[in-house]
Amino acid sequence: MSRLKHSGLLPLLLLCVVGCSRCKDPEGPCDNCPPAATPYALEIPPLFPPMDIPEDNPLTVEGVRLGRFLFWEKGLSLDSSISCGSCHLPSSGFSDPSALSVGVGGALGTRNSMALVNLGWAPEYFWDGRALTLEEQILIPVPHPDEMALDWPSAVDRLKADPAYRERFQAAFGDEDITPDRTAKAIAQFLRTLISSESKYDRWRRGEATLTASEFNGYQIFIREGGDPETTPGGQFGGDCFHCHSESGVQFSDYLYRNNGLDAHFDADAGRAGFTGSPLDSGKFKVPTLRNVALTAPYMHDGRFQTLEEVVDHYETGGVFSTTVDPFMKYSTGGLVLSPTQKQDLVAFLHTLTDTAFIHRPEFQDPH
Amino acid sequence: MAPFVLGLVMLAGWGCQDPIPSGPSDIPGTLWMEVDLQWNGEPFALNENVVDHLGHTLTLNNLQMYISEVELQDMDGVWHRTARPESVHLLDFKTPQPHLLEAFPEGTYQAIRFGVGIPEEINRGTDPALFPNDHPMGFLGSAGMFWTWSTGYIFMKYEGRAAPLGSEVMNSPIAYHCGTDASYRTVSLEFPYPIYIGAQRRLEFPLAFDAAKVLVGPEDSVDVIADPLTHNGPNDPIAARLMDLLTQAWSFQ
Repeated sequence: MSRLKHSGLLPLLLLCVVGCSRCKDPEGPCDNCPPAATPYALEIPPLFPPMDIPEDNPLTVEGVRLGRFLFWEKGLSLDSSISCGSCHLPSSGFSDPSALSVGVGGALGTRNSMALVNLGWAPEYFWDGRALTLEEQILIPVPHPDEMALDWPSAVDRLKADPAYRERFQAAFGDEDITPDRTAKAIAQFLRTLISSESKYDRWRRGEATLTASEFNGYQIFIREGGDPETTPGGQFGGDCFHCHSESGVQFSDYLYRNNGLDAHFDADAGRAGFTGSPLDSGKFKVPTLRNVALTAPYMHDGRFQTLEEVVDHYETGGVFSTTVDPFMKYSTGGLVLSPTQKQDLVAFLHTLTDTAFIHRPEFQDPH
Repeated sequence: MAPFVLGLVMLAGWGCQDPIPSGPSDIPGTLWMEVDLQWNGEPFALNENVVDHLGHTLTLNNLQMYISEVELQDMDGVWHRTARPESVHLLDFKTPQPHLLEAFPEGTYQAIRFGVGIPEEINRGTDPALFPNDHPMGFLGSAGMFWTWSTGYIFMKYEGRAAPLGSEVMNSPIAYHCGTDASYRTVSLEFPYPIYIGAQRRLEFPLAFDAAKVLVGPEDSVDVIADPLTHNGPNDPIAARLMDLLTQAWSFQ
């Protein structure tokens, strides 16, 4: 690589990489698939960006099927009481209705379980982004003492003892070898199929549905600058939601890390700083997607708000000052100044992001 | 829009079929311009405390801007576009080495010019989903820099906090977000001496960006306490003033 840097070829190779990445055909032949596995025809919905799938973990029908079984496998917890799905319930948009998830033996986690939706487009995982890939993320909850509390060697032994799993791994990976890496890969394949694109918002975007007056007004508030123009330069009496929950890629998150003014101090949870070690990241958390947000209560990293109305009220106040608070928060200029009707309309729009077909899809449910 | 998309398609096809041109004459040289951040001519890093032209103590924690349409002027006064079919960079001063990397025909050049922002024809109506995710204009590559389909991209973000005069508590936000087609600006700089870019060679030539000059210039200045925010809203002249000032913030080391 160092030779390339000085040869002048680097930019050309970069161009090649860009070019080739556009040539991928998700439904075409799969060069990296195990010989016996069937390429999975992943359908990218209209208006969605391309999904970057790791070259060493292409989706296959057998891999996705195995991943579904593993996602719902309670045997991956110490006392066989909980699975991944226990804290990511379809009825809650694949999140947890409890503020903090309960692990094996009643252990309590420290953060609210994030919704599992459209993960194939997320660049990093967990509220603090400490996992850079989906595969890496999946390896963490199984041995975590507050979650499934089962060491990986024991988890692998359990899977190896089950003939059905040996058969599924054979089908997915070409042989019966069962490893943590393969387990994570299979679950990651399954999770990448959890695509939500049939909300009313999506159908509206595609010209297949019409928003009510209240929903449309809520959308306008969503994409309008916040604040009273008398006190906030450029203010448009909007909700200022779109800056962080961007429509770019129709995922309703910019996937950056922000402090949204919940707290003045971060002794309870340092946020991303707990991972990076940088005080500049104190109190910052990943901006979550708003897809299915009406289903994923409670809200915020610690589940402190029970309703969308409470969330809107928080932003209405402008939040509290700290050294890392995001400049979008209106803590110094009197908040958003939304009327009660505007708040109702904003919440009505947020409900258009609900995709009930997604949470009821049979292929996502517990197969055991 | 259509020619731009066509360019992307052509690039994709070319990249897949023949990634490295075979003849030396087909291979341009490259110009690597690392952009050093300064405050009043001194080295500066984000999150450092500095004092502005009015005496406010402030800190910047985010400085990003799009650079596009990089061109070099040869000794005959002819401007040459980069060898790439589209030339858009996102300079992010949170990254270790913010830089421009472009390929140009072999030759001697006396000046450079580039746009700050994204040209109108590819700004509005462009969908980040059309680009590879990590492209500067793509879904993830433009994270936090895309407004809406109708308004396009944010050309420059200049964010931080400032202390009112007489205070050391930096609790006043600074959030300058400049965009829309009217905010596009062109920067022209003469090299201190002619530069030669050889075929298949890389020339390193550092640029400097003085963040203090975004707030003050010979003919205008902005008060970060009185005017702490802009999002290019209607009847909001701050963004245009900042973009005008920004064109004077560039220099060679």
